[in-house]
Amino acid sequence: MVTTKDLEAHFEFECKACENGRCAKADVETILSEREGLKEFYEAFKEHIRECKRMTYGQYMFVIDREVLPDAVLWWHNHPEFKETHMSTAVGTDERPLNGHFVYMPFLSVQVEHRNMDRNYWVFLKAYLPADDPSFPSVAAKLPAALWIEREVKDLLGFNPVGHPDPRRLILPEDWPDGVYPLRKDMDYRHSPITEPKTEYRPTPEGTSLVPLGPVHMGVEEPAHFRLFVKGETIVDVDYRGFYSHRGIEKTGEGRLTYNQVLFLAERICGICGYQHSVSYAMAVERLADVEIPDRARYIRTLMLELERIHNHLLWVGIAAHMVGFDTGFMHAWRIREPVMWLVERLTGNRKQYGMNIVGGVRRDILDYRKEEILKVVKEIREGTKKFLDIALNTNTFIKRAEGVGILPYKVAKAYSVLGPTARASGRRIDARLDQATKTAMAYNEVDFKVPVYKEGDVLARVLVRMDELFESLWIVEQLIDQMPGGDIMVPIGDLPEYEEALGFTEAHRGEVVHYVMTGEKNKVYRWKVRAPTYNNLPAIPEMLRGYHVADAPLIIASIDPCYSCTERVQFVDVETGKVKVLTEAEFNELSIKYKGVF
Amino acid sequence: MAEAVSYTEKLKKWDRFEAEKFSKKAPVTTPYPFIDIEKPPEYRGIPHINPEKCIGCGACVNACPPDALIMEWDKEHGIKRLTYNAARCIRCARCIEVCPTGAMEPTTRFEIATDNKEDLVEVVEHKLAYCEECGEYLDFTERQIEYVKAILPKEIFEMYALDERIGLTQEAKMRKTVEKLRETEGIPVSAFMLVGEVKDKKGGEK
Repeated sequence: MVTTKDLEAHFEFECKACENGRCAKADVETILSEREGLKEFYEAFKEHIRECKRMTYGQYMFVIDREVLPDAVLWWHNHPEFKETHMSTAVGTDERPLNGHFVYMPFLSVQVEHRNMDRNYWVFLKAYLPADDPSFPSVAAKLPAALWIEREVKDLLGFNPVGHPDPRRLILPEDWPDGVYPLRKDMDYRHSPITEPKTEYRPTPEGTSLVPLGPVHMGVEEPAHFRLFVKGETIVDVDYRGFYSHRGIEKTGEGRLTYNQVLFLAERICGICGYQHSVSYAMAVERLADVEIPDRARYIRTLMLELERIHNHLLWVGIAAHMVGFDTGFMHAWRIREPVMWLVERLTGNRKQYGMNIVGGVRRDILDYRKEEILKVVKEIREGTKKFLDIALNTNTFIKRAEGVGILPYKVAKAYSVLGPTARASGRRIDARLDQATKTAMAYNEVDFKVPVYKEGDVLARVLVRMDELFESLWIVEQLIDQMPGGDIMVPIGDLPEYEEALGFTEAHRGEVVHYVMTGEKNKVYRWKVRAPTYNNLPAIPEMLRGYHVADAPLIIASIDPCYSCTERVQFVDVETGKVKVLTEAEFNELSIKYKGVF
Repeated sequence: MAEAVSYTEKLKKWDRFEAEKFSKKAPVTTPYPFIDIEKPPEYRGIPHINPEKCIGCGACVNACPPDALIMEWDKEHGIKRLTYNAARCIRCARCIEVCPTGAMEPTTRFEIATDNKEDLVEVVEHKLAYCEECGEYLDFTERQIEYVKAILPKEIFEMYALDERIGLTQEAKMRKTVEKLRETEGIPVSAFMLVGEVKDKKGGEK
């Protein structure tokens, strides 16, 4: 029987543009009263707010003056009621071809209530910067979470964060000329200039000596250069130079690909959490096109995401065991992990880089007879991991190396906006799977699971958080198999609306992955910003290392599960060695650019 | 040469915790590059173009994210060349999905290491259709036109007079429309004759 209430509920969906808050008729008052806190913010910054609108479900945007950026960000970040609100990241856009301005836009994840995706929301604080003077007051001077992103927009777009405490180069290689900004729209994506390299390392503090760690990390086998300043055995301070594997992925995505092609590039940002990036991107595009995907696709996506989390946590615990010198544990963890890889190979067609997603759904269905197979693997892994944990947590070497090492206090974790298991091990109650509205692309709202939180903040807590999460993931997989609905697995999207923005996000096994997409003309992407969780976790590493021994450094660094290729998205040129063979290096680069694209 | 253990057999024997099975265990390592290892049937390997079925429409080229598939026109010799380069391929199988005739065939092959780059390239050449009227080659291949003829319903052919017009270049078609307009000057004609050009082209490209 249809009641009046149902009819009313139905009528709300009549006008799609109004529903989205994009319609000219959409009332500012209604939009502001939708979520708690919005009105309060509006009252506090009334004279500086130019526009406010709802971008999509649970995502609100305020266009504000650049002068009040730090105050506005800190207003949200230090909100007394919304304790776990954090500055997720920011995005810089060159909108000169559209309106003659640059845009700098920090965004925050506002947590009104833990685990309630219908009350929490995202807030975008958009500030227009004039084309001749793209400067804004630095947020980083007061909030360390903005340290890297402001250096990034300075490198890539030529913005000037006034008052930034550490305005060195972050992303671009040392032999990149000054004044060339790759993400500006007037630069072609094939252009790759080279000059003489110069390095900007921080000087060694007095009374300490330097221990270089890297450029290749010994455990994770990825490029990152840590410079440890030590007094005897104790680490006093740390300098970080990374981004050796920056590949210019965002520029390629904006320059040459259509929206469905970007999806496959997004999946290749990272070899470990590829599917998380793929789902985040697809979600962003689906949100801005306002498409609802079929339930079955949502379930299949969630299933694959959880299978990915399971094998990644096992991979990580293996590496942690390897770092503390417990190699038996390393071998066993990876042995337990292998059946998941075989399983996903059968489900998707590949061990990694599943290629399962398409904007609007998934590409392969999970056939019913496969369910048995998945349940069998889940059972095997649960038993195997229990046995493994029993052995590992009763091994003294493991406990002694991990306990009380690399402590990250809650306050520091909050100030740096640390994410994922690293944050949960320090007592932050955050999990993007439930905190934000993932229900449009994933089915987390229909399954039941716990979010483990530890208060210790040391390496052992990070191990335990991840292992608890792994068991929760196994439980989620079982529920998903049980509840899997029938029906279609994808809906076609068609043409995208022009110049719309939206955010896609998932909780990867390292923290929340965020993809910001702004569409351009002809189904292309005008701006695509990727923020991997390590981008927020890595700046907090110096805080964790201070006061511990050099021998602990590799373990502490590995304990946040860093992924450098996610974080750094250019062909790289290393430099300091360049002094001896500058010519060969430059020649090599010229050659590689000349023949780029031949094979 | 040691015998290869099949994929499924390996799955059964993997669990190493039980000691009693230990004696029956097959060796886990294999002399890999010298033997062919079994892949699961679902594995997405590099695709292969079946030149018998390919019509040269270029749907795969539009879909390919890393530009592994390239389309070139040689109007002088009347050739349209489709090149597939396995070295650039990311094995996403988008081309297989979008191919209208099933010419892109999936394989489970993944080892593409070779000492000769040319082993990685597949080239399919198509004859372009020839316009009798203006003596130039069309953008479409002969097979594309055949395919369109085979799938489009008869009514549409009659409606747009495709029988005589499908083999013409864009310029010739436009000239024909103009001529027809002159003939029918002053007489009201159905709208499709006037916008017919655009629609024609869409039909041809499909």
